Amino acid sequence: MEFTFAGSFDTSRKPAEVYAFLADPRRFAPLLPDFESVEAAAGGDYTVKLRVGISHIWGTAAIRLRVAEADPPRHAAYEGKGDIPGGVAVLRAGFDLEPAGAGSRVNWTGRAQISGKLLSLAGGLLEPLARKNLEKLIEGLKAALA
Amino acid sequence: MPKKASRAKRKPRQPKRGPGSPSKWVGQSIRRREEQRLVRGLGVFVDDVKREGMLHMALVRSPYGHARILKIDAARAAAAPGVLLVWTGKDVAAKVKPFIEIGRGPGAQVKDYPLAVEKVLYQGDPVALVVAESKYAAADAAEQVQVDYEPLPAVIDAEEAAANRVLLHEAAGTNVLWEDTFEYGDPDAAFRRAAFVVHIPKLHFHRYSSTPLEPNAIIAEWRRGDDAIEYWSNNSFPAFAVQFLGPALGVGIDQIRIRTHDIGGGFGIKITNYPYMALAALASRQLAGQPVKWIETRTEHMQASAHGNERTFLDTRVALDKNGLILAIESRHIDDCGAYPRYEPLGCIIWAQVLPGAYQFRNCRFRFSQIVSNKCPVGPNRGYSRMQHLWFLERVIDLCGHALGIPGDEIRLRNYIRPAQFPYTTPNGCIYDSGDYPRMQALAKQLIGWDEWKKKQAAGRKQGRWIGIGIGTTLDSGTNNFGQARIINPHAPYSGQSKAAIVKLDIYGEPVVFLGSVPQGQGHETTAAQVVADVLGIPPERIAVRPGFDSDQNVYTGHTGTYASQFAVSGLTAIHGAAEKLKAEMARVAAAALGARERDLEFGVGEQGPEVRVKGSKKAVNYWRIANLVYVNNAELPESLADVSLNCRHVYRAPFKVPDIRRKYGNLTLTYAAQLHIAVIEVDRETFQPKILAYAAVDDCGRTINPMIVEGQVHGATAHGIGAALMESCSYDAEGNLLASTFSDYTPITALNMPDLRYGHIETPSPFTYSGAKGMGEGGAAPVHTIGAALQDALYPAGVLVVDSHNSGDSLFRAVADARAGQAPRLRVERRSGRV
Repeated sequence: MEFTFAGSFDTSRKPAEVYAFLADPRRFAPLLPDFESVEAAAGGDYTVKLRVGISHIWGTAAIRLRVAEADPPRHAAYEGKGDIPGGVAVLRAGFDLEPAGAGSRVNWTGRAQISGKLLSLAGGLLEPLARKNLEKLIEGLKAALA
Repeated sequence: MPKKASRAKRKPRQPKRGPGSPSKWVGQSIRRREEQRLVRGLGVFVDDVKREGMLHMALVRSPYGHARILKIDAARAAAAPGVLLVWTGKDVAAKVKPFIEIGRGPGAQVKDYPLAVEKVLYQGDPVALVVAESKYAAADAAEQVQVDYEPLPAVIDAEEAAANRVLLHEAAGTNVLWEDTFEYGDPDAAFRRAAFVVHIPKLHFHRYSSTPLEPNAIIAEWRRGDDAIEYWSNNSFPAFAVQFLGPALGVGIDQIRIRTHDIGGGFGIKITNYPYMALAALASRQLAGQPVKWIETRTEHMQASAHGNERTFLDTRVALDKNGLILAIESRHIDDCGAYPRYEPLGCIIWAQVLPGAYQFRNCRFRFSQIVSNKCPVGPNRGYSRMQHLWFLERVIDLCGHALGIPGDEIRLRNYIRPAQFPYTTPNGCIYDSGDYPRMQALAKQLIGWDEWKKKQAAGRKQGRWIGIGIGTTLDSGTNNFGQARIINPHAPYSGQSKAAIVKLDIYGEPVVFLGSVPQGQGHETTAAQVVADVLGIPPERIAVRPGFDSDQNVYTGHTGTYASQFAVSGLTAIHGAAEKLKAEMARVAAAALGARERDLEFGVGEQGPEVRVKGSKKAVNYWRIANLVYVNNAELPESLADVSLNCRHVYRAPFKVPDIRRKYGNLTLTYAAQLHIAVIEVDRETFQPKILAYAAVDDCGRTINPMIVEGQVHGATAHGIGAALMESCSYDAEGNLLASTFSDYTPITALNMPDLRYGHIETPSPFTYSGAKGMGEGGAAPVHTIGAALQDALYPAGVLVVDSHNSGDSLFRAVADARAGQAPRLRVERRSGRV
């Protein structure tokens, strides 16, 4: 099951500042909903652990995250892959930055591909959950960049 | 509504008097002897078997429908407590040959290993195994295996698979593993002379499965002393399994011993559990012969055991005369066998056992192909391959009736094969042994109260209610001719059908039966005892029947197993033959002991139990004495009896010939049981939930061995079919995620969902079997056809065509919404004036 989301928001920070924040997994990852930890891994990757769950299915997701595309200060994209309770997730989040007044406009896209028996157990609940978590992430980003 | 109108039919027949009477016990509703242990929890299933030093296997399975395996890190799992072995697909591939493929051409290029090697092809595809000291240690360690996948596009839809944009098996070069055209008569001429040609939109038979209480279960023990394998298993077709296991594992078939005891259901889908049998055996060999047990979890069963075949019917045209008699059918069928063929492509011919269904049409052209997709491999699920075709034919006749304004009962009556036409040779050379479909329809209508429901339906429609009455006529072809495999692959080394059985008199004079079948709840022990009781003229309780199957007991042929609705024919005929041989030997011994002539003897029960006596005298010898003379006191036996063993094996060979491969013509099955069901259904206009208001099922399986068992099997098959029609579906999303991997999602039918079943039966004895019985039990998915017809009747006025075999409230809501939006599939009728 695949979910795609997109949107944009404005921030008072300059593109270079926003880029520096977004492209640093140590600063970005803690904004992810239900964040537990982030650790540097081999090859410049990061292991992000999240306490995730839906209904009665809860557990720790270990997502291997890497900066897949970096074009400072205009564009950054993360790719991640890892085990989640009852399945696996492949994620991609991209950010395109452009000046907007004194600050920046962040145009973002997100794609999550979830596979596994989780879809059978909770398929219908996943999209609203993903949307809710994404909203939390964007609100967190806005707050961090305010 | 008449209540249980068939009661007179169901009344047990009075036994004919006299020992040795050929039908004293056969035909009686004797209680199933198996229940004595099963209802008390005393059955012995694979998981009840404990072996010294037994280890446990768990599997790591793919979460993806289609992905490349990049890397497997098993180090943490291997280091986990209690773990003795961790293998990946590459480890296993180095130790085995891929399983043989039945198909020719592209299908022969498929490489099917017990574990996925380079790619996973369906969600649940096993990629690694763990063996540990406990099942919990194995399961925990399996979770520690890290697999890095590269997801690939999944192919879920049959037409998409046939387009070959994404390939599953690159070596095959195509997803279409088998295709051919089945043409009989002169369909083009029939279409030219037709008064009506009905064009039917795409039809789809959905994917569902069986949900046996006991999932797949195996214990394998590699005997190092003689390099042989001992299996305790619930595989229901051992003769098939060993033909796959032997070459893959590099052992002779006689080195593989398979035992079954009690089996908690199967319905065909346990036939293809041999990849797991191979894994357990290989692990046992690696671990110095320690027994390795694997018990499938429910989710594993749903994801990766076997599903029933899914089939899509395209470009369907039907030619009819002015009276609604079908002259010809032309159609294109795509069968979806999931990721690996395994038992396939046998399904590409097995449907042809019932090519015209219950109908008389002689001209047809069916283009049949089979594709692979990123879904669980299929297995021969109850009603295998025939039910998809029969559903198609029932939709065809039903939709033609609606298109031409001919009621469902009437158009069927006009098209049924007539009773006087039996034995009836179908356009492709199958010989229907007997039947009376009009009488079945009349009885079903009587049972359900047809006329009364018609009035209620008319009144309900005036109130805006969606009430429908539907008929399903279906066939349960039994005792198959494996020669049909040659139509699929001319080099296939199969033909005919056989079963073996042993009946012996043991050392203390007790008759004992060893079954050459693999019962899974069908009551084989009971019916076997009934048959032997009639031969020997003693009550069935005096006959011991060994539960289960053991290949070392020599009750084994290349067709051994329980499948294709045949035990009443092939299994019981083998038992009957063995019992007759035993009787003849006993008569010889008794004649010698009594100083009498064999023709003067009779079998029966005397004061000292079962005996053979001189007619009209008190001179008798009991079974104990007969056994004693042969086994332990044989110096008293004359030399002329040196060949007597009292251990009699009989092999029944069904009277088949190899079909004509070029013409695809020949008798593919020996018997044709029939089912005729009628359902009354209402679709709620607010919730769109279908509700069965009344249901009648009439069965004809020839002469019944045990009416109570037959009725029980009809109930079971009806429940399975109702579940399939309204509740159960193995649906996948576009990425190949199975959306029903637990009972919560799959919602198998339970007693609470079952309507009150009005049951009746008729008997048209088979002229091709010694007893007149026909195989039965699969039920031909009769409810799927019947419910489809009833829903069609309910919703035709709303502009809905029933084009799928699965119809939940949700799908009916969408169908009605599509109809209201003018987007529903539609029938097209060509009316030709001046034609026949």
